[in-house]
Amino acid sequence: MIEVNGKAIEWEEGMTVENLLLKMNYTFPKIIIRVNGEIVAKELWGSFEIPDRADVHAHHLIAGG
Amino acid sequence: MNSSVEKMRASRKELARYDYKPASIERGYSGKTLYINISDQTIKSKDVTDQMKDIFIGGKGFGLWYLWNAVQPETKWNDPENEIVISSGPVGGITQYPGSGKSLVVTLSPLTNSVMDSNVGGFFGPYLKFSGWDALEIQGKAEKDIVILIDGDKGTVTIEEIDFQPGASHLISEQLTEMLAENEKDKMHISVVSSGSGAEHTNVGILNFSFYDLRRKAARMKQAGRGGTGTVFRDKKIAALAVKYSSLTGRSNNPADPAKISKTGVKITREINKFDNEQFRMRQIGTANLMTPMNDYDLLPVHNFKYGSHPDAVKISSDVLRDRFTQNMPDGCWIGCSLSCCKAVDNFELKSGPFKGEKVIVDGPEYENAAGLGSNCGIFDPDYVIEANFYCDTYGLDTISTGTMIAFTMECYENNIINKEITGGLELNFGNAAAAMELIHQMGRGEGFGLIVGQGVRRMKQIFAEEYGADPSFLQDIGMENKGLEYSQYQAKESLAQQGGYAMTNKGPQHDEAWLIFMDMVNNQLPSFEKKAEALHYFPMFRTWFGLQGLCKLPWNDIVPEGNAQTDSPEKIPEHVQNYVDLFNAVTGKNIDKEEMIRQSERVYNFQRIFNLRLGFGTREHDAAPYRALGPVTVEEYESRAERYDKQLEEDVGINPAGLSIEEKIKAMRKYREERYETLLNVVYKRRGWTENGIPRPEFVRELGIDFPEVMEVINKYI
Repeated sequence: MIEVNGKAIEWEEGMTVENLLLKMNYTFPKIIIRVNGEIVAKELWGSFEIPDRADVHAHHLIAGG
Repeated sequence: MNSSVEKMRASRKELARYDYKPASIERGYSGKTLYINISDQTIKSKDVTDQMKDIFIGGKGFGLWYLWNAVQPETKWNDPENEIVISSGPVGGITQYPGSGKSLVVTLSPLTNSVMDSNVGGFFGPYLKFSGWDALEIQGKAEKDIVILIDGDKGTVTIEEIDFQPGASHLISEQLTEMLAENEKDKMHISVVSSGSGAEHTNVGILNFSFYDLRRKAARMKQAGRGGTGTVFRDKKIAALAVKYSSLTGRSNNPADPAKISKTGVKITREINKFDNEQFRMRQIGTANLMTPMNDYDLLPVHNFKYGSHPDAVKISSDVLRDRFTQNMPDGCWIGCSLSCCKAVDNFELKSGPFKGEKVIVDGPEYENAAGLGSNCGIFDPDYVIEANFYCDTYGLDTISTGTMIAFTMECYENNIINKEITGGLELNFGNAAAAMELIHQMGRGEGFGLIVGQGVRRMKQIFAEEYGADPSFLQDIGMENKGLEYSQYQAKESLAQQGGYAMTNKGPQHDEAWLIFMDMVNNQLPSFEKKAEALHYFPMFRTWFGLQGLCKLPWNDIVPEGNAQTDSPEKIPEHVQNYVDLFNAVTGKNIDKEEMIRQSERVYNFQRIFNLRLGFGTREHDAAPYRALGPVTVEEYESRAERYDKQLEEDVGINPAGLSIEEKIKAMRKYREERYETLLNVVYKRRGWTENGIPRPEFVRELGIDFPEVMEVINKYI
């Protein structure tokens, strides 16, 4: 299991950031991803593999109304 | 148009005149406000005191202070004593920083019967200030339609009768601008405030504030939308209000540190140029950029806030609307705004109503219009959204309230609470664009079922229960209003913080106090009650500040600087908060910091809460939310998100949903969510310095320095 924004999510071997965003249906174009406290640059999302038991923060930078 | 304008010019009849020497602006203030009583045609100047500047700052602070002194606890919105107060603020009118042209309108609302504030773009507020007036108070009622003209170039204020047909705000804006201008370029120096016929027949009338778009060669309009300010305006028989001022410069505020203002403005403009396209695309799409993410994240209001998304929402997505806007046009609603987000659809051919067949400029659609008039009513047709936007604007109807009102009637219709006999033949099913459009025209004409709908959701709930035998508790659950004001267009069932952000507001569920949905629901940055309370203190206070200064909030967080993600509180956009501190100090010569910025807002915010108390509102019961705002009311709502709700019952409530009927599950979920909301009220009140009943504590009021005798008299009744 991993934690994503404080919620427990099923982990899969080889899960990349991109896979996670698809799984969570996080489609917003401006998201800051931190895995275990470290920012993962957007260009690495397709290759960066999230480890098991990781603490992931997907901070949506949305201004809203 | 020329013959109409000539007729207007020839018909001008001056009823009263006031000649003055416009005060010089000193550090963002003229030091004078203009009082006009249209019952007896008094026009006079009042001084702005140091106390006003220190405690109320400007903008809605001045509006609240003047209104407090004008009315009694029993004053109603349509009594002559009610005022409309319009003000910019000390920072308002600078041209170097985006979003610096806002006006604030304060009055007693026909929807809430309490104090309402509404912010609006356009040129009026800054031009009013530079014409010598930090605020305009209008009290009384005229016998016949009058026009108030403020000429800052000549130093005259006149009350006049002018022969034109009020009713269509886009025509009033155009014609008055034409009448007052010496030539085409001079039109940029004029701003007209007007409403339309819908404001005469409904409680949701708006005020349109114009600005002249030289490239389009047209008067465009922004809206003071919430709470029926236009209804008050037309009840007073004000046909229009206009200001003319032609000497604007980058130093019109006579600021203490103009170099600092320029430097700060250059910095943010560079950010906008560099990042806007990859961030929120405000220059391309404006607030309509929210349509797609709201639908993707189940936050778009659909079918009277029942659902948060719909497969057809793609038909009115951000990119669909982008493709309807005319691009490569400067679209700021104040001079120098580099965020430039007030998009328009040009040459739109209207298919219905009194202007059918004409090609018009439609200001918008903004997100609220597309969501409220569109998805919330189950209508996913961009042409409908654009046309409804136009007619609401020109009739003077609040698009947010109109969308929520129509959505409510549609749900009532589909539940057989009202029928074709009651609606005069309108088949108000969700998705019926023709029926919805006809309802808007009826509200504009003041006839048919439109007369009932236009009274607002709170009044409709009463009427439907009393006259049509509807179940009042069901109506209460689905009628999306709080304090009498209709909810704005976010489906916030899964964000407890936003539920508070809506219903714990001073004026009603408008999201200008707080927009916490993503922070709460998606980013999970507010997992505890204490964190939610902190957010529901900080953000309403921070966002109130814009309304004191004459500023728009969009440049605060609709553009994000480099390195923001690495800051301690990225959601606050700390660098931009500092920009605003710097701007205030650079204009006024004062030396506030971020803490004092919040304290400025706390004074005005709590004063407004106490004003509500004075008028008989403002206690805990008025912060209650309809259950549709908190959770699923109906079986279909629950079943639409059954997996989510069943999981929550199990994990959060500790109830195993297996074996429970759907009604039992809805009941258990409701108990949990309502209890959570009550807990939130308790923690937020405590954080804000209020009692459990929502009363600002006397010691806190003293600490704020707003412990005037008449204020303490109000509080002491409740303590």
